[in-house]
Amino acid sequence: MKPSWAGLLLLIAVIVVLALLPMLVNNYWLRIATGALMWAGLACSWNMLGGYAGYINFGHSAFFGLGAYVTALLMGDRLAWPFFATLPAGIVVTALFAIIIGAPTLRLRGAYFAIATWAFAEVLIQFASVMDFTGGIGGIGLPPFLDERFFYFAMFGAAALTYLITWALFERSRFGLKVKALRDHEPAAEAIGINTSLVKLQTFVLSAVTASVFGAIFAYWVTFINPKSVFGGDITDQMVVMVLLGGLGSLWGPALGGVALFVVNRIIWMYWGDTAFYIAILGAAIVLVVLFLPNGIAGLFSRRVAVSGAVLDKAVGNLVGGGPGRPS
Amino acid sequence: MSAAEGKTAGTGEPILVVRELHCHFGGIKAVNGVSLDVGRREIAGLIGPNGSGKSTLFNLISGTVTPDRGQIRFDGHEIGGRKAHAIARLGLARTFQIPAMFDNMSVTENLLAAAAEGHWQGARERAADTLALLKLEHVADNRASDLSGGQQKLLEFGRVVMRQASLILLDEVTAGVHPSIRRIIVDAIARLRERGTTVLVIEHDMEMVRNVCDRIIVMDAGRVVATGPFNDIVRNSEVMQTYLGRPQ
Ligand SMILES: Nc1ncnc2c1ncn2[C@@H]1O[C@H](COP(=O)(O)OP(=O)(O)OP(=O)(O)O)[C@@H](O)[C@H]1O
Ligand SMILES: [Mg+2]
Repeated sequence: MKPSWAGLLLLIAVIVVLALLPMLVNNYWLRIATGALMWAGLACSWNMLGGYAGYINFGHSAFFGLGAYVTALLMGDRLAWPFFATLPAGIVVTALFAIIIGAPTLRLRGAYFAIATWAFAEVLIQFASVMDFTGGIGGIGLPPFLDERFFYFAMFGAAALTYLITWALFERSRFGLKVKALRDHEPAAEAIGINTSLVKLQTFVLSAVTASVFGAIFAYWVTFINPKSVFGGDITDQMVVMVLLGGLGSLWGPALGGVALFVVNRIIWMYWGDTAFYIAILGAAIVLVVLFLPNGIAGLFSRRVAVSGAVLDKAVGNLVGGGPGRPS
Repeated sequence: MSAAEGKTAGTGEPILVVRELHCHFGGIKAVNGVSLDVGRREIAGLIGPNGSGKSTLFNLISGTVTPDRGQIRFDGHEIGGRKAHAIARLGLARTFQIPAMFDNMSVTENLLAAAAEGHWQGARERAADTLALLKLEHVADNRASDLSGGQQKLLEFGRVVMRQASLILLDEVTAGVHPSIRRIIVDAIARLRERGTTVLVIEHDMEMVRNVCDRIIVMDAGRVVATGPFNDIVRNSEVMQTYLGRPQ
């Protein structure tokens, strides 16, 4: 992407509005904005591997949940760590698990990785549900801290950092060239000296730890978590749909998709409460995007990012094995 | 200084030594005991009928496919069975028979990616030079998937140029391209040789082979059946029977 003045001005305007938002809206809307920022950040973290590297992660909620549980456990009565001290701990734990899951499976075709990540999230749900120290199905509480502004700025900071890292690493550095090259043609990427297994693993770890930071902030924010609320498959589903809706493999697509879908979610919730209806909307959104908006919302605005559909082809090809893997 | 003038250059050993190399796919013995040498700064042509194992031999040398058994020595390193990226970093570069584009990246990014691992210093300038050399400047910002077939061949060749390798393997880089594009590639190969690069080319076009190659290696049914200067090979009617007596 070439930087344009109009785009830069728009970005500055958005940052200014977001920075001033707590003075402009009441706590109800501030909570919604906090959630929107979290989902924009989570979608971006999923997109690092799914969009830039073309490897579909069906268990990303595992890392969100790990971050949440590490923070909840460390801040509990017995240990009583301060919140910010729990973040590095969550990052280390998440990175270790990402390496354990990713190192063996990212060498193989995408399907193995997709199944492994999905299974890992399922295992964590069961594990957290039966263990005593995690509070079982009942879940676990955190020391309440009821400062909406703190959580708004925490999510804002985390989301801003996530996008900054994504921009610097995937759009502006040679690391990004390596990631996109292996997505588009793995044997050719190897042939120009790229250690594709290592680059995929690095991307996966980065994507996982980002999700865990959002999980940590989320746990402290809502002051109570249980296995379903942080490991649930619907969390991954939402991230995937947000990225597809916004534009797979683009920088701003996940932000657009994340905010759009979260707002729809809140509106439905306002009128119909906690309903399975939302799941139907997610499903319909996927179908509509694939049929009518293959390049996502981002593709509507920019010709340059209009590659999402092709990236989806690569990612799906990776998954089923016909795609880029064949030398000739 | 180019990579070809690296530490082991100038020693008598050929840059590439292959011995008794085997590789099979199911029941097909695609490469069935190949032995060959390629000398430093040589431009060698690899010819043979369809399915004789030429591309598979390239895949084995470059590490894209793992050999069943046999030795491959490249620039003093035993590389048989090593990972493709490790072999590439030793100074070997290749093209693929079916153009292997990074479809969703721009033409410039395709070239830069080839420098991402290794000689990153000055990569942007070299990418610009390569675009000029291959006359691709006007499509520099296009997506690779939007290029014509001939332009894709050029771009893939350009990635090899960017690698600054000491040995390059070209798999039918001029097949099916417009004569003007062929001209560009032939000139660029000559430039590479001036730089001290060794080149092994798979080529079906005998005119091209005659003009470009110092020496010919003929494969048939997974084996090397003849090797020598172009004129000797052409005079050997048995070999020509093998090569030309079948549909190409
Ligand atoms: N990945 C693979 N899986 C199965 N069989 C393969 C594979 N690669 C090559 N083969 C088979 O190995 C044999 C040699 O193929 P190869 O591509 O090396 O021949 P070639 O000399 O390059 O032919 P061409 O001139 O048509 O490019 C063929 O029978 C081919 O079908
Ligand atoms: Mg071939």
